[in-house]
Amino acid sequence: MDATQPVNNRLKSSSTIWGRFWAEPWFAIATIILAVAIIVFIVAPVFAVLLKSFGIGTGQLTLDYYKQFFQASYYWDALLNSILSAVISTVIVLFLSINIALYVTRSKSFLSKSFQGIALLPLVAPPFIFSLALIILFGRSGIVTDYVSQLFGGQFSIYGFWGVVLAQIIGYFPIGYMLVESTMRNMNADLEYAAQDLGANQWRTIGGITLPLAKSGIIKAGLLVFVMALADFSNPLIIGGGTRFLASEAYLLVVGQHNLELAAVLGVFLIIPSLLIFIFQTYFLKDSSVGTISGESGSHSVPLSKSVKSFVGTISGLFTAFILLMFVMVVLGAFVKIIGINNTFTLEHFNNRTGWDSLYTSLIVSFISALLAAGIGILQGFLFARKPIPGKKLLEFLTLFGLAVPGTVMGIGYVLIFNGPPFFLTGTVMILVLNMTFRKIGVGLEAAISKMHQIDTSMEEASNDLGAGPYKTFWKVIVPLMVPPFTAGFIYAFMTAMVSISSVVFLISPNTNLVAIYILNLAEQAKIGLASAMSFIMIVIVLACLALLKFVEKKTGIRI
Amino acid sequence: MKKYLLLFVFLTIGLILTACGDSEDATEANGAKGEIDVYTHNDSEEMQDLVKGLEDETGIGVNVLRLSSGEGWSRMNSEAPDFGADMQWGMLHSIALKAENEDYLEPYDSPTWEDVPDEFKDEDGKWYGWSYWFNLLAINTDILEEKGLDKPESWEDLLDPQYKGEIVLPDPGTSGTSYLFVSTIMQIMGEDEGWDYLEKLDENVGQYAKSGDAPAQMTAQGEYAIGITWDQAVYNRVDEGYPLEAVIPNEGVGYDLDVVWMFKDTKNKELVEEAIDYIGSEEGMKKSAEHRSMVTNPNIEGTAEEIEDYLIDYDAVWAEENRDRIMKEWRENFS
Repeated sequence: MDATQPVNNRLKSSSTIWGRFWAEPWFAIATIILAVAIIVFIVAPVFAVLLKSFGIGTGQLTLDYYKQFFQASYYWDALLNSILSAVISTVIVLFLSINIALYVTRSKSFLSKSFQGIALLPLVAPPFIFSLALIILFGRSGIVTDYVSQLFGGQFSIYGFWGVVLAQIIGYFPIGYMLVESTMRNMNADLEYAAQDLGANQWRTIGGITLPLAKSGIIKAGLLVFVMALADFSNPLIIGGGTRFLASEAYLLVVGQHNLELAAVLGVFLIIPSLLIFIFQTYFLKDSSVGTISGESGSHSVPLSKSVKSFVGTISGLFTAFILLMFVMVVLGAFVKIIGINNTFTLEHFNNRTGWDSLYTSLIVSFISALLAAGIGILQGFLFARKPIPGKKLLEFLTLFGLAVPGTVMGIGYVLIFNGPPFFLTGTVMILVLNMTFRKIGVGLEAAISKMHQIDTSMEEASNDLGAGPYKTFWKVIVPLMVPPFTAGFIYAFMTAMVSISSVVFLISPNTNLVAIYILNLAEQAKIGLASAMSFIMIVIVLACLALLKFVEKKTGIRI
Repeated sequence: MKKYLLLFVFLTIGLILTACGDSEDATEANGAKGEIDVYTHNDSEEMQDLVKGLEDETGIGVNVLRLSSGEGWSRMNSEAPDFGADMQWGMLHSIALKAENEDYLEPYDSPTWEDVPDEFKDEDGKWYGWSYWFNLLAINTDILEEKGLDKPESWEDLLDPQYKGEIVLPDPGTSGTSYLFVSTIMQIMGEDEGWDYLEKLDENVGQYAKSGDAPAQMTAQGEYAIGITWDQAVYNRVDEGYPLEAVIPNEGVGYDLDVVWMFKDTKNKELVEEAIDYIGSEEGMKKSAEHRSMVTNPNIEGTAEEIEDYLIDYDAVWAEENRDRIMKEWRENFS
């Protein structure tokens, strides 16, 4: 973020950056607190994992654990499986995202609205829910499996590598889709019109103009999906059927064998690809936008030709129907005794006190950490966009890096640091809140930075010229402007916090169990009814929260 | 002004959430006396009912975290000496012995456990066995018929190639049920032959599940024909009407004591003592007997009868002493 001229530059003219930094002491203090927090809660855990992988903390420096990793063929398998499944899921997610985004952004009908809504639906459910639904449908005695084997004989089973890939595609699709869709929506249609005027048919236009223009958005989406799929640990546990994946192996090493050192080595192998991709994305994928972002977006996009429309429409229809089917299975699973075997209606799965308790804890923790993540992110975005801060680039890098660190690594890091003096936080709600907050402040930060770039400094200058100090300017000018990105950051952080497991799974205690983890535990006991029921409640609550915010948006006229 | 409305909404939601929490705590008669945190390896549904019995009887509130036996043990190790729970309710006998060696347990001389024979409890009162349980095969009769498979009668039968891919077994790294199975095989056959057996069995295993209950459930749902699991997991599902049959292999099965204990230096000593008293009391044992084949109070009958003949003379001390070594070897061979 290229520092725009600091607003107060004219008033005080200290020559060094430190001098200017201290010119507004309160902002400086806020920055320092922020920096310390980022170091303690994002950087330190990752370093702790790195150090642990070399055996530091248990004795002396050793490469033994790396040796163990390289000697055991199954960890190699895990690494390969993880990378392969992430690549395949990413490619398919991108293909689907492009198709559905084309349909949604280039036609206005009830159908396109429904596609849009359904495409985002998987966001509100924990990612491994689709593993459950897939087992109900395609397990060794699944509904579809039975039907197919009656028709054609033979038996197939969803357990294993391809089951994981399929579950990942559905679970991580919305993330890719959101990015692709927003790029395509914000695209200026003039070039496409020009291409068509020159005689290109729409297939050529899409291949030659639309996709190249959307390239950076698509690549970004792909990288994000790849990182998430690589870090996925819950789907392999449920539907992997013993096939090894890196994140789930690391998890089992910690919880099953208490082998933190070897788990740390696996963590290092998880983090290397994420780190590389993150660096690539930050430094080489600078929005090479071809200047197509126009103020009024989408209002006059090129309508789809018949053949294109039927193609992308079919794909969109099939995939969204599949997503819906997954949700229907979860809902049915919640309300019948044992889906597929004993389909009598029952409410007994909802009588589950531990479940309700953990749901309540999840709501509180997610709510607080979403408020903090969005709030801190916004404050940071403002400070970084407007104020002279030494080491700004590095801090920003580290904050955003928090988003890319695989949850399993972060969780292990938190166990290493906060399970002993001087911080005794394991088993408290506090550690859950801290973990979720600092994994998500990057979201608030990104939202804030992009907003700050749209706001011209002249407003703040005017406020300054009229005699309001920097703090009053902040409260009266910046804060009101920041409400929309705050809300957007809050919603995203809240939803992802509700469904997150990979790092908090190491940090829960009897008193602070979270509903997503509780559901995972039920799924591990193959209790599909109980797991579906809790998932159903969770989905309803998250959807209700979203509806409330939409309602507020309508009432207040603030676009969220 | 309107823009502050949004902020206001956030604050209101926050207030409502916290208010709900407070009133819930205040009105919940169960938690009136105080709350204790409990680790368990028991099945979630069973535990819910057991906890309810304790709460109704004593007024103590209970928070439960379920962890498979292996998970629970590694968690204790990482938390020691500051345990995240006040007590353990349901755990392997062999892990109780290990925990005793590590000095994780707080002794308590409970008056209600008098009727329980000495072999089922620690002489210093560091752990109490409340029930015992054993390995059992869950057989899905529909699947056997459909696929034309024979009903296995013994551990040896499971090696038959006709069962290829049809057996589901929990992973002994996480599941106590599975460790009981592995150490039973070793004790019946001797260690070398035991490893041979497990290697041959591996050929037929379709999936290693994470928890000891899962094979029963998966077999019940027809995912696999045979599940290696534990007694009550099968009996419950037979009662629920699944096409399941319980088979005790004729070489005999290992059994294990399920134990409760108090963690050292817990802050809720009185409450945990009361809970342990309850579990040993007649009411507590009767409640347990609704869920278990056998409880340790000889005057109270569990759900199963006449199974003593099939139980091998299982050596829990051996299982404890060799656990780390066997698990290490298992991991090298199978994972």
